[in-house]
Amino acid sequence: MFRDTTFNDLSRTDAMADAATEFVMDEDAFRGFYDRTARGLWAYLARVTGNREQADDLLQETFYRFLRADASHESETHRRNSLYRIATNLAHDARRRKLIRAPLISEGEDIENVSTHDQAGATERSADVTRALQGLKPRERAMLWLAYAEGASHDEIAGALGMRVSSLKPMLFRARQKLAALLGRKPEGSKA
Amino acid sequence: MNPGECQFEPDVLTAVLHSRWPAQADAELRAHVASCPICSEAVTVAVALDGSLDELRASAEVPDASRVWWQSQLRARREAVRAAGRPITAVQVVAFACAVGLLGACFGATSTWFQALLKHFASNASGFDAAALATAVTALFAEHGALVLGLIALVFVVPTAVYVALARD
Repeated sequence: MFRDTTFNDLSRTDAMADAATEFVMDEDAFRGFYDRTARGLWAYLARVTGNREQADDLLQETFYRFLRADASHESETHRRNSLYRIATNLAHDARRRKLIRAPLISEGEDIENVSTHDQAGATERSADVTRALQGLKPRERAMLWLAYAEGASHDEIAGALGMRVSSLKPMLFRARQKLAALLGRKPEGSKA
Repeated sequence: MNPGECQFEPDVLTAVLHSRWPAQADAELRAHVASCPICSEAVTVAVALDGSLDELRASAEVPDASRVWWQSQLRARREAVRAAGRPITAVQVVAFACAVGLLGACFGATSTWFQALLKHFASNASGFDAAALATAVTALFAEHGALVLGLIALVFVVPTAVYVALARD
């Protein structure tokens, strides 16, 4: 069981603001929404695809499709869920159809190179996480990322991945066990 | 509580995601995590992924929001123009087929010579010779087999190609 919140506390505040005023996705609103979500979404795509260039491409495509859908959402949470659902589907399609150029490097290797200004220790930790995540299926990576990096609730994860909550729980539990084993399963004393 | 779940896991996750773990977390929570395999596992995964998220967010080079907005607007306009200029859509194909069928029905119902022609064919059908037809078909394939097969393939390939093109749109 996870905390019953939106992806982060900021979105909870925005959701309340949305409820008070009728929301229109004009350019200004989009800018705000983009600034709140783009980096997190990019990180999600980078982790799920294991490739930085794919994440760049899919990020823009995700926002384009989100805008084109022109759907009305009740709140920031619903917009965010919708955005992640689009991103998940795009990543899935890209992998399935191999429409996007096949990476010359192995999946995940590219992500290790993104930390250009971090200390060696942080880069090493990131490489460990990357290697561990490579041992998981893309869907497992996605659900774990949403749950444990984004702090998404079961409902939000199920919505983003197009699954039932009842199916998600055991899969998430197994995926967590798998990742913990791959990470070495030592109790963490400190945050990275 | 299902197996694999612990009531303290949300608290543990909140502490990690809000950077309170372990220094600023409750001593009781830390003691619980030390003795609870589920929460211990959750901490291991959450700390690793949360740290990774921080690093990736910091290094992400996302395009400017305005640029994404205007590119999306331009692309939407281009796609709208392309869609408007597309000569045949599935709806148009169906409408055309319906119109041809309707015209044919009207013609058949009103034309006396056409009805006479139909009667002529119907009377000849009673003396239908299946063996002769089979011979004729065999001869046709023997002489123009490649051409006939090509035409048959075309009948299937063209609608399939149209379907695939429209489905992709």
